[in-house]
Amino acid sequence: MTWTIIILLAVGVASLRLLGMYGGTALVRRVPMFERLGSLIPAAVVSAVIAQLTFASGKSLTIDARSAGVAIAAILIWRRAPIIVVILAAATITALLRL
Amino acid sequence: MSEARVSARPEWGTLIGICLTFFAIGVTVNVLVYEHVGSAVKTIAAAGIVLSATSELAYIAVRDVGGSVLAALIAGWVVASRFGLLAASLGTRIKVGHFQRSCAALNCLDPNVGVAMQQPTPAGVMTAFWWVTGALHLGWWCGTFAGVFLGNIIGDANRLGLDAVFPALLLAIIANLLRQRPGFVAAVVGGGICAALLPIAPAGTPIILSLTGAIVALKVPEQKAAST
Repeated sequence: MTWTIIILLAVGVASLRLLGMYGGTALVRRVPMFERLGSLIPAAVVSAVIAQLTFASGKSLTIDARSAGVAIAAILIWRRAPIIVVILAAATITALLRL
Repeated sequence: MSEARVSARPEWGTLIGICLTFFAIGVTVNVLVYEHVGSAVKTIAAAGIVLSATSELAYIAVRDVGGSVLAALIAGWVVASRFGLLAASLGTRIKVGHFQRSCAALNCLDPNVGVAMQQPTPAGVMTAFWWVTGALHLGWWCGTFAGVFLGNIIGDANRLGLDAVFPALLLAIIANLLRQRPGFVAAVVGGGICAALLPIAPAGTPIILSLTGAIVALKVPEQKAAST
């Protein structure tokens, strides 16, 4: 990864963020239906990231120790456990299953 | 600091959890990036100016399997496009000047937008956003330096179960959204679409197409879900 690549990657990512903040926001404000859509985007996009981080292994889907750790986290979240407990439990269960 | 701002600040336990999680991500990601880049300065610079672990990893993943530089760059940009979506979402809820708006855009990540969007007022959104941003930067930078300079000692970070920490944190952050029916539908449909497309679609596109979850959820009336 050269300096040019790092800068191109950074400029592209920053541009996408700014485009969303200015272009995306303007679009959402212009079309009333998009206002509610905007409030639902975090749930849809973040859950997609969760799915990818939990089940993706390269280009395939797997259920492994990591999935078990996240499943335990889900149960703890449902039981309204503090975040610190949730993430420590997820890491511990995953690590133990890999022993 | 006004009472509204204090109440908008996430709980300390949440901030510490976010900080620890980003420390873990910083270590895990930057051990890999350092291996690929071979330079501590470049690794740290990339961590700071790209500010997207998934973009860096997508770039490296494509190059590692023999993809061209252009294909790797496009993969890195595509996986970061979700930050544009999150920025658009955040932008509708804040009332600040261009400078702070631009700074917020450049710092848009999953946890800070996820937490901020749950605040009822524009001021509260910004307060929560910057508290979480501070916590994740603290963790990210400490983790980056640990990954670069202590990577050899730490070894395989996934052995410690650190790869389960980020999805667990994100799940905790959107938990309140999941307790409302539209948010639950958006999450289930969005997550399901992403999982279904992962094996067949180019890197990054399943996450963009997960937007469909939000569109489907528009049809769900706003009301509390049954006990979830």
